[in-house]
Amino acid sequence: METEPQKTPQFIQIVASIASRAWYSLITLCGKLPGGEYVINYVRASHKNDPWRTFLEILLALLAIRYFLASRYSQDEKDKVSLTEKEVDELIDDWVPVPIVPKLRKDERWQLDSIPLIHGPASTRVTVEDPHTGKKTSDVLNFTSKDFLCMGTNSKVKEESIKEMRAAGVGACGPPNFYGTQDVHVRVCEDLAKFLGAEEGIIYGQDYCTPTSVLPCFLKRGDIVVVDGGVRLALQKAALISRCDVEWFNHNDLDHLEQILSNLEDDLKDGPLNRRFIVTEGLFENFGDSPDLKRLVEIKNHYKFRLFLDETNSVGTLGPNGRGLPEVYGIPRTEIEITVGSMAQSLGSSGGFCVGCHDMIYHQILSSNAYVFSASLPPYCATAASTSIHLIENAENKDDPSKSNPLIKPLKDNSKLLHRLFNESNSLKDLIFVRSTGYSPVLHMRINSNLRKSLGLPEGYGGPGSFVSKAVKRGHESKYFDVQYNTENYVLQQVINKCLDGKVLITRSKRVLHHELLPVVPELILHSNSKFTEEDIKHAYNVIEKAIIDVLGNLNKERFDRYTNEL
Amino acid sequence: MSLKADANLDLSKWSTRLPDAPADGRSDEEKAEMEFGRLTSEKWLSIAKCDPDHPFKAPIADEPPYFVVIMTYLNYLVMILIGHIRDFLGMLFTPQNYKAMLPQNGYPPWYASFESFYPRRLKGRMDDCFARPIHGVPGRYTYCFNRVSPDGNKNFYYDGSSTPCLNLSSYNYLGFAQSVGRCTDDSIDSVRTHGTSAGGPCDVAGHSDLLRSTEKTIAKFVGKDDSLIFSMGYGTNAHLFTSLLNSKCLVISDSLNHSSTRFGIRLSGAAVKVFPHNDMAALESIIRESISQGQTKTHRPWKKILVCVEGLYSMEGEYCNLPAVVALRERYKFYLFIDEAHSIGALGEHGRGVTEYFNIPSSKIDIMMGTLTKSFGAAGGYIAATQDIIDRLRVDFTTNIYGETPPPPVLQQIQTSMRIVAGELNGNEGKERLERIAFNSRYLRLGLKRLGYIVYGNDDSPVIPALLYTPAKMPAASRMFLKYGIAIVIVGYPATALITSRIRFCVSSALTKEDIDRILAVANLIGDKMCLKFGSGMAGGEHHPGDWKKGIRPRWSLEEVLAKTPEDCKKEMY
Repeated sequence: METEPQKTPQFIQIVASIASRAWYSLITLCGKLPGGEYVINYVRASHKNDPWRTFLEILLALLAIRYFLASRYSQDEKDKVSLTEKEVDELIDDWVPVPIVPKLRKDERWQLDSIPLIHGPASTRVTVEDPHTGKKTSDVLNFTSKDFLCMGTNSKVKEESIKEMRAAGVGACGPPNFYGTQDVHVRVCEDLAKFLGAEEGIIYGQDYCTPTSVLPCFLKRGDIVVVDGGVRLALQKAALISRCDVEWFNHNDLDHLEQILSNLEDDLKDGPLNRRFIVTEGLFENFGDSPDLKRLVEIKNHYKFRLFLDETNSVGTLGPNGRGLPEVYGIPRTEIEITVGSMAQSLGSSGGFCVGCHDMIYHQILSSNAYVFSASLPPYCATAASTSIHLIENAENKDDPSKSNPLIKPLKDNSKLLHRLFNESNSLKDLIFVRSTGYSPVLHMRINSNLRKSLGLPEGYGGPGSFVSKAVKRGHESKYFDVQYNTENYVLQQVINKCLDGKVLITRSKRVLHHELLPVVPELILHSNSKFTEEDIKHAYNVIEKAIIDVLGNLNKERFDRYTNEL
Repeated sequence: MSLKADANLDLSKWSTRLPDAPADGRSDEEKAEMEFGRLTSEKWLSIAKCDPDHPFKAPIADEPPYFVVIMTYLNYLVMILIGHIRDFLGMLFTPQNYKAMLPQNGYPPWYASFESFYPRRLKGRMDDCFARPIHGVPGRYTYCFNRVSPDGNKNFYYDGSSTPCLNLSSYNYLGFAQSVGRCTDDSIDSVRTHGTSAGGPCDVAGHSDLLRSTEKTIAKFVGKDDSLIFSMGYGTNAHLFTSLLNSKCLVISDSLNHSSTRFGIRLSGAAVKVFPHNDMAALESIIRESISQGQTKTHRPWKKILVCVEGLYSMEGEYCNLPAVVALRERYKFYLFIDEAHSIGALGEHGRGVTEYFNIPSSKIDIMMGTLTKSFGAAGGYIAATQDIIDRLRVDFTTNIYGETPPPPVLQQIQTSMRIVAGELNGNEGKERLERIAFNSRYLRLGLKRLGYIVYGNDDSPVIPALLYTPAKMPAASRMFLKYGIAIVIVGYPATALITSRIRFCVSSALTKEDIDRILAVANLIGDKMCLKFGSGMAGGEHHPGDWKKGIRPRWSLEEVLAKTPEDCKKEMY
């Protein structure tokens, strides 16, 4: 019996014929493209020799397509819990955020009252108002102002500032790149560069923002910065925000620095030529000492690192003519690649600056956030800073620049005297320890380490591994508070209050533990200035000595705990 | 004015050193008129108030024609290509010009060539339009030094002269940039009584009486318990968030927030989510998801959620949809931070900013930040909040404790100008300033729209961005406006999206109606010459219907604009 061949359904025939026609035209099209023929021949040959390979390659192509199409955040998506609208609403109703800032605790409220209220200018003698009683005490010797050279109340500086305000008003009303650059801004940049011996300068609206804006311009991921382990907060934050690799060396320990650099050298030998900086201060805000710049420059030149020097506290105070740490060591400014500093201190004005070579400054004009996105300094501030610089330069001994400048000499003498009185005092030597050096215009005094030990206080508060830094990592705001730190500061505040009764205003280090990356020790702080007379300083010493003895003289564990409970 | 150096121009008398401001021989009256024009008629006043029924109206956004978009991209493509070719050849043959980008004696380059590609190859070609040095008060007129550059903006040569230009470039909203008048007199007195410097951080060196009273003035002005003042607006935001947030907190930030806010958030280590500019639906969905999902991986609830918005976005001239944000805050219990850098003083019937404009009590906003540079002619920024928050920040805010305090004259300027605006000093002067900026903003904005410009932003905003698109038109516009004696600001990538390069007119109370007439006349001329009129007409109230099929767009002639707009702009019609 003859059987009829089974008929294929018609639509399959149609589909097959369309597919084969499409396939054919695709192949022909490919063949017509330049070089397409070779590709087709190659694929044909490979398929003939190894059909498995074609299969694997198609799989691979599919996998690649899937990979590219997959969401970048698919991991996060997977982590998500799927919830119904009702459940979401319930969760929203249940959610209670913590307060936006923790309310001040009862035992830290005293810190608010410890900020003195001053009437009139921040000069040598001030009128202080008691925040509670409103009682005013006049003629108080002021050791809190950072206007070391008293430029802020200098008649010439005032006169020039007033003239500029009559010419240009108060505010600059615009960022420097948009009509916010005035002739006086350019002048002060030139003056700063000339005064410090650099090629060019640039100014910022605020000193604290300057390093956090300058450093990230030149450091990105993969770059290296080696930072002194005692720098001020602005520099810590600057290193942090740059997102580069940060290494810390022990404070002022150049041997340790050299060791770190030589270890790094081996690691870096084969890598790409990334940017490398050493960050340190001219006069440490937290210690009142300086690095050995001569050796530091030798080290950085040997290892081909660049130096970032923060001269906020040293410009106007160190060196015969106030040109900062390099002048002390006789090192040209060109050896220091980046210098930042403040015009709000010795220069009696406001704002920060950065000086260095042309390329470095030019890059900041478009890359430095605080420069680009912020209004210029008020023009009169530029004039005030320029005038201060001119005053210092004019007073310089032209024949012998190494001779101390008469404008700065009183400051140095006063600083030295203040340091000597406290450092060599017999009555205080068991109670306090002077941390700063003789040339520092800022006197740092800590409670004597033996006394601190007997009180059961740690060597330093906060810093790596401390419970405060752990609390910061975990976001436990209530644990940012350190009872001992608070009480030790409170004890120092008692000294300050006693001094104020004797008409001497001094201050203490006010550092916020949870912001600091490095360990902190509370200190009493005295800012010297050029207008104090010897009698002023001796009088102040007597008052402070008595206050310290009164408060710390009979301080023991029991009394310390009583302070804690009293708060 | 910056001219392209003429081949015949003798540069021997010109100098690369920026000259000092020339001696000023004008009388106080002449000076005052150049700094703050007298009001010419009571008619040219208006009040910045929103329609209570429709508080927030999204501005009409015109789209540019396709050919403009394509041309813009092409423009960038050509510039980038040529730039790279020049870089490649330059580094090969003249490495001495590329020192900063090449390794030197074993030292790594200062910056990578790609990092500086945009500044060198694109911005460098129009450097004469940026950082134009000025002298004197940036008031109604600003004095630009004349300069030329014979070598492609590498060096500028000055002859010592300057040109007064009508000033639409300074953030001088209420016209307080003045060298005569109550504000400056008071500030000068404060130099005499308090000196020029604050003498250090206020927590350490002490609060001055001036600082305390200025803090109180600001707090009262914005309607909060207390405030803190900082010497730099950028620094206020840059260091605020470390005191508020930690890694277990979430920030939801508008995509157009200012760089200082973004920097501050980054420094705080908090998690960040960004919502598209003013998109309230997106904001709500992000909030819902964040609260219900909690922190990534652990799914623990966020400790705090902070939403950051700006009162007036300075690049777009748009205000934030505050009524909607506040309504969301009621429902979702997040904290609200608002940056009033550009809106404080410039918006609202009494200049109290965007909260007053939308009639929202300041208690609905947790942290109010603002700057004092713009409307008050001073410098710095402030934070205003409840007493509890300010007390905490006083002992926790890094700028307060480690950074400088604003100097006395700046504080005095803030205090006096703010009291004038509040009507406590000089009678009606504050009211006049507020009504003048409201009128000037509305008039210039509507006028430009009717001329055919594509203008972004809301009606009452004193920032008026007019779109240019093609990057090559940026320097052209800036130079041409300057030729006609008008100083404008041009902004392009990276401050804006790549294709939306723009002119930014910053209006001031110091301008008179006649000044704005002049600006419109010049804008009309330049708009025709440079082909800038792409508006569809719907934003300005169509006058001639145009013929869409033939591509003729509805336009108003300059005469019609000048005749009708001053009255029309006061109405709530567009």
